[in-house]
Amino acid sequence: MAEERQREIERSAEEIVESFVKAAEALPSERETYYSQEASNVTRPDGEPSRSEERLDFRKRFIKIMPGSDEDGNLRVEVAKWK
Amino acid sequence: MEVTQAKLKAIRERELSPVENVERALKRIKKLNPKINAFIEVDEGALAQAEAVEQKLKRGRRVGKLAGLAIGVKSNINVKGLRATCASRTLENYVAPYDAEVVRRILAEDGVVIGMSNMDEFACGSSGETSAFGITDNPAAPGHIPGGSSSGAAAAIAADLCDLCLGTDTGGSIRNPASHCGVVGLKPTYGLVPRQGLIDLGMSLDQIGPIAPDVYGAALLLEVIARRNPNECVMLDAPDTGYTDKLKDIDLRELRVGVSPEFSKLTEPKVMKVIDSAVEKLRQLGAEVVEVELPHIEKAMPAYYLIVSVEFFSATRKFDGRKYGKRIEDVCGDEVLRRILRGRYISRKEYRGKYYQRALQVRTIIRQELAAALEKVDVIVGPTVPKLPHKLGAKLTPMEMYAYDYLTIPANLAGICGGVVKAGEVNGIPVGLQVQGKVLGEPAVLQVMRALEENL
Repeated sequence: MAEERQREIERSAEEIVESFVKAAEALPSERETYYSQEASNVTRPDGEPSRSEERLDFRKRFIKIMPGSDEDGNLRVEVAKWK
Repeated sequence: MEVTQAKLKAIRERELSPVENVERALKRIKKLNPKINAFIEVDEGALAQAEAVEQKLKRGRRVGKLAGLAIGVKSNINVKGLRATCASRTLENYVAPYDAEVVRRILAEDGVVIGMSNMDEFACGSSGETSAFGITDNPAAPGHIPGGSSSGAAAAIAADLCDLCLGTDTGGSIRNPASHCGVVGLKPTYGLVPRQGLIDLGMSLDQIGPIAPDVYGAALLLEVIARRNPNECVMLDAPDTGYTDKLKDIDLRELRVGVSPEFSKLTEPKVMKVIDSAVEKLRQLGAEVVEVELPHIEKAMPAYYLIVSVEFFSATRKFDGRKYGKRIEDVCGDEVLRRILRGRYISRKEYRGKYYQRALQVRTIIRQELAAALEKVDVIVGPTVPKLPHKLGAKLTPMEMYAYDYLTIPANLAGICGGVVKAGEVNGIPVGLQVQGKVLGEPAVLQVMRALEENL
């Protein structure tokens, strides 16, 4: 069932790609638009750092949602599985 | 006076207390949400927030523009202490550790966040049926889809569960459900509203925007959230605009309104009939209606699905289950998996610019076409969705589902703004008129929407 679902999803994924190729074949070449407006703010301003209580609060909240931590409260991650 | 304006006046003049307003919203959610399923989570702290606003009013202190209004937030926006699930099992236990910039701005203006609204999983859908937390019903047309992906937000407004909502729009996700639910929605110009704290679908297309019961409410919420955030890379340096002030003394006699013959080729005749009546009303109100050419508008849809799949594939690589949540491919629904696999497929095949690069070229064509049309007119009006919403549970192929987005996608590809206001009904089902404007053309869009709201 899982394989069948995967195949069906892959088929429909290819369908939209094919429909795009067909739709675009008669269109002229143009430059690409990555963002509709130009990026105009590439450097961030130097601001006040967040207050220490805000950083502690964030850390506490983040630790609550992470799947595993060591005895010092650091995030424990699993080494990626190779496929 | 519109609903939102009247409620704000009542709160400021102490005829209605913020606590009473929020209590009323919470009671309606408790009573109606089991059937509508517009909210995934309700904020238990909302009454305390309302109490704080009430204390300000009692002490005669200055209150913000949203004082005491109950506001729902789409579940792909971070609200500290609430779950930003994206309506997915991937993030079902992800409790946001911070507030998104737009939420900070709402709280600073004394708005009260009452909960997280339902949505299509990861905003991948146009029907409100792909949420891992169950489908959302359409209060304006029970038994039909509410549209998506901001399904819960539009349904919440239609059922009067809260005063205003934040939605997001990548290919029509605010405008589509606003049309199906008979409410007001606005997709702002790309770069006008900060995206920091929004969980991406397509980063070059996503915009946060308001869903409201009336045009004043949409203008007010936009006024609060639209402003440059110096910490974001892709933001317009737009001046502060009093959008609600622009709604006074509207005169359409100076306005040129564009319509395209392409719209009727893509739209069901019964929907088009409602739209034609609304355009005729604009003409009667003094607007000059002229035809504009949009010959490639239907090419936008396939180009969009290529672009959004690649961007979504990239955005979801962080959902590997290591820092939080579960690995996305292990638990997501069919449409999310479809987009991930498509994005991966295109990324792997992208060795000669055949797909993604070509889609970005089509994006340029659509952008140029809309810009040329908007040189001639102030706004372009037409249908929002080409067909009426289907019945809940009906089986559609992915391509049939994507066809809902034909008319909303072009504004996202071009980065322009677009709003929706109810134009009429077909057999009791709402039909929304889409008003598309220039980059930073929100005032003209809101004025046309307001004129129709007053006169239809």
